[in-house]
Amino acid sequence: MWKTPFGPIVERVIEVNGLTRRFKRTLAVDDLSFEVASGRVTGFLGPNGAGKTTTMRLILGLDRPTAGQATLGGRPYRSLRRPLTHVGALLDATAVHGGRRAEQHLRWLASSNGLSARRIGGLLELVGLGEAGGKRISGFSLGMKQRLGIAAALLGDPATLLLDEPVNGLDPEGIRWTRQLLRSLAAEGRTVLVSSHLMSEMALTADHLVVIGRGRLLADAPISELVRPGTSLEDVFMELVSEGAR
Amino acid sequence: MNTVNAEWIKLRTLRSTWWTMGIAVLVALVLTALGAGAVISRWDPGQAPGQAAMGIVVAVYVGVILAQLPLGMLGVMTISGEHASGMIDTTHVATPAKSRVLLAKAVVLAGFAIIGSLFIAVPGYLYGRAVAAEFNPSALPADAWPVIGGGTLMIVVTTLLGLALGALLRNGAAAMAALMAIVLLLPFVARMLPWGDWANVLLPTYPALQLIEQVPDIMPTWVAFTVLGGWAVVPLIIAALVGRR
Repeated sequence: MWKTPFGPIVERVIEVNGLTRRFKRTLAVDDLSFEVASGRVTGFLGPNGAGKTTTMRLILGLDRPTAGQATLGGRPYRSLRRPLTHVGALLDATAVHGGRRAEQHLRWLASSNGLSARRIGGLLELVGLGEAGGKRISGFSLGMKQRLGIAAALLGDPATLLLDEPVNGLDPEGIRWTRQLLRSLAAEGRTVLVSSHLMSEMALTADHLVVIGRGRLLADAPISELVRPGTSLEDVFMELVSEGAR
Repeated sequence: MNTVNAEWIKLRTLRSTWWTMGIAVLVALVLTALGAGAVISRWDPGQAPGQAAMGIVVAVYVGVILAQLPLGMLGVMTISGEHASGMIDTTHVATPAKSRVLLAKAVVLAGFAIIGSLFIAVPGYLYGRAVAAEFNPSALPADAWPVIGGGTLMIVVTTLLGLALGALLRNGAAAMAALMAIVLLLPFVARMLPWGDWANVLLPTYPALQLIEQVPDIMPTWVAFTVLGGWAVVPLIIAALVGRR
């Protein structure tokens, strides 16, 4: 732990160290190192295919790294007991079984980590699915599935959140709602890592940015440092990505 | 225990589970009733009460193993469905130990298959006794237990073999085809081969049919139970080991 000049005490929670993942001939993630601190929203930016999802899967232990490691609070994800109480993750919101009701989906998930089902009703209210909780997921729009995925991530009241493109498919109201939710979660001292390829959205949501391209780290800096007056995040991003491609 | 609970919620919150189970039980019950009726009508009047009770039990368990394919399909879908939707990732984020997930699924499915078999066997047995009332069937004779054990084990084995194949192949159609090949096709092919008896000892179907007294004995009862049980345990262990990578 250390003190930043202005803000609250921050802690390095997610540590990615020399992380590498090779799929046959392509290097999806290439010697990637960065840290994610608590108490702020960290945007994980990169063009499509940059390795954002692969990195998140490696952090969550869904895939094994070719080299390097990723830890949460100093421990690999797979060693966490009742992991949902430490980390909430949203990877692919459409990866749910349509035959179940929203409330049933959250119930098995809660049960798998010995969590009480009592929070489910309140969480469904929180994400705006209070009415739809008893409906089958097959009838949900992509935006509703994203909201359900966010409810699932919050189920264990985790100190760390990993969200892969959570605003995909959301309408402007939903995007705004997600942004405010992420900012308030960070303000509570939680660690929030959120990936996106939408720069304008990240400019509004994130405090800190980790930018990758072709699996490599391109930038790791506070947003205020990256975006100088007179430039937009989009300009900066394009510049970084084209430099990275060289 | 949490993992078993979660898997039980997953299984019971899908309508397809109840459709599969309902159809399996209903079809098996109808065929059991027809089969038992036909068998009993051919008995000679001198049938002893012990033989009558045994005959009913055998007829009932021939019916029970007819439910094996729908239940095997349930075993396949329990895991291949999660691979198809991608929900398997959510499962593994919640429970990183993959072998624990597989074991929990196996426990839940085995319990479900046993209860399913009882829903066929108990009414089937009572019906058989009613139809055969004139023969005064005795209470369950001792040699009925290998039949009951063998029939029940067969249905559990097919369900768990489905689960293991679904976990290994990750594709529902491929796993279902493999399951049918092992349970139905290979025993049929084996009969036509000169070393077919050996293949039959090693495949799950002949030991099961021997235990429910549908084929001549070619192996001791304990060997039949061991081979049959092995078809539930070994493929699951292989699936757990392969899943580790």
